[in-house]
Amino acid sequence: MSENKLLAVNQLQVYFDITPSMFAKKAIVKAVDGVSFEIGKGETFGLVGESGCGKTTLGKAIVRIYNPTSGNIIFDGVDIANKKNKDLKSYRKQVQMVFQDPYASLNPRMTVGEIIKEPMEIHNLYTPAERNQKVQELLEIVGLKPDHIRRYPNEFSGGQRQRIGIARTLALDPDFVVCDEPVSALDVSIQAQIINLLEKIQRDTGVSYLFIAHDISMVKHISHRIGVMYLGKLVECGESEDLYRNPLHPYTKALLSSVPIPDPDIAKSKKRIILEGELPSPINLPSGCRFRTRCPYATERCGESEPPLTQVGTRDVSCFLYEK
Amino acid sequence: MELSKDLFRKLEDNEKNSEFIAVQSRTYLQDAWIRFRRNKLALAGLVFITIMILGAIFVPILSRYTYEGQDIANRHALPSAAHWFGTDKFGRDIFVRIFYGARISLSIGFLAAFINLCIGIVYGGISGFVGGRVDLFMMRVVDILYSVPEMLYVILIMVVLGSNMTSILIGICISSWVGMARLVRTQVLSLKQQEFSLAAQVMGASNTRILFKHLIVNSIGPIIVSVTMMVPSAIFTEAFLSMVGIGISIPMSSWGTMANEARELYQNYPIEIIWPIACICLTMLSLNFIGDGLGDSLDPNKK
Repeated sequence: MSENKLLAVNQLQVYFDITPSMFAKKAIVKAVDGVSFEIGKGETFGLVGESGCGKTTLGKAIVRIYNPTSGNIIFDGVDIANKKNKDLKSYRKQVQMVFQDPYASLNPRMTVGEIIKEPMEIHNLYTPAERNQKVQELLEIVGLKPDHIRRYPNEFSGGQRQRIGIARTLALDPDFVVCDEPVSALDVSIQAQIINLLEKIQRDTGVSYLFIAHDISMVKHISHRIGVMYLGKLVECGESEDLYRNPLHPYTKALLSSVPIPDPDIAKSKKRIILEGELPSPINLPSGCRFRTRCPYATERCGESEPPLTQVGTRDVSCFLYEK
Repeated sequence: MELSKDLFRKLEDNEKNSEFIAVQSRTYLQDAWIRFRRNKLALAGLVFITIMILGAIFVPILSRYTYEGQDIANRHALPSAAHWFGTDKFGRDIFVRIFYGARISLSIGFLAAFINLCIGIVYGGISGFVGGRVDLFMMRVVDILYSVPEMLYVILIMVVLGSNMTSILIGICISSWVGMARLVRTQVLSLKQQEFSLAAQVMGASNTRILFKHLIVNSIGPIIVSVTMMVPSAIFTEAFLSMVGIGISIPMSSWGTMANEARELYQNYPIEIIWPIACICLTMLSLNFIGDGLGDSLDPNKK
């Protein structure tokens, strides 16, 4: 994997200062707190976790909508974590993002043609005639009609809009796309359509994805490897089939047992792990292991120090249960 | 009714037309115009303002009278075929003076609104888009400007620069762009967190491009409404200043100066004061109706 590595995130931290006034007590949200992973060329890395665990923040920090507090984002051998916005032009051309809400991610005052053309205009690619031709090609790839080019986003359904959004990200032929919950705002039947489209694009162009979602069964379907996040940290990371069959970290186990099973007989026989307590506030994190307040296996030691991410077989887990 | 199975057949893939959109494509402005037309009051206002603008342009050119020409024999004449609105105390034709005054009043109104629009968009846009300390500083400047009454600026500037159209314009604009800047800032603040603006950022769009092509364009509705409301307030300020005698100087006419001149003799010749006041009232009313109508028709949520 290391020889065709495309992106490496190393100890990335994204903190937000939310201190209300100059005199109030300092309040810092540690949205992403030391996350490391790698993504290879043509690979899909799935990121799961419950709401508020920092997965979207991580995705937005990678495309540099948010500025990382510390750590490295190494893309194609270059660290872009601390580059100034004006030095990011070539990075912006290679990395794109598909957004969660297809109703908010398209400018309502621009036609579909203008929306898809915009990235090419910004990067001065192609002549105007070539751009129009490229728009037609992209519309065909995402399954829209050529005459949709003059229409406005409000005339389309959610699934169609998401496909327009995907066509826009493809306009620059990116090497890497961050998909931030691209299907969670869509109807289930449309979800499959979009997932299949993303997979087809990957087969045809060899693009890499960071696929962010909270539905682990969907992430397993599309991803080669999966990372599980809890409160700003990666708690488990491994091959997707392997992790899905045999979760190691107690949080991953709980997350997997919450996946509904279509067969009621099997569902009855399966034991569900129900987590006690609330998600702790990311401003005031528990000492030691972040998961210990809700973990059924928590011991005294978990409160004293934080378990490091250690390798267990092909897997990385951050839990004292698997310490050698 | 019995439906037999052979009435149905499975569609082939190429017969499916699920991506087809039947409705005719309409742009934002076409949509807004359709909704605006339904509001009869706003439409009436638009017609009245259009007549006033055309009158202001053509009546002084085409009429055989001028705004300053006197007909001493015919002072205080009542409306007749020769003088449609009558004449004033110097025998000047009121009809021509009303439309000559419309030139001044309307151009002050629209120019002031336009200048406010330009300053407000740039200032408010930058303040909202950059945010942080810059925003804090720029908004405090706005607060300071806003805390001094508008009339005080206008009167002070008139004293320094003399009473003419330019100084009235400067006086009106120096404080009233503030409202536009605040409006644009709030719009930009809320829109810049929207995903389409983030998407433009990820594409590598420059800040100027994001600000003007994505943020300002999407706040055009409230901006237009606010501009329409600014026109009558500028007209009113000018009329007020002329009425108290520090505005447009004679023999030029504005509705305010005409009302001021007629005021002295209103008990004997009430008709002379009715014309300018009616014009001020109807123009302000029309512009307010238009603003209201635009507010409803430009808001996509009220579709």
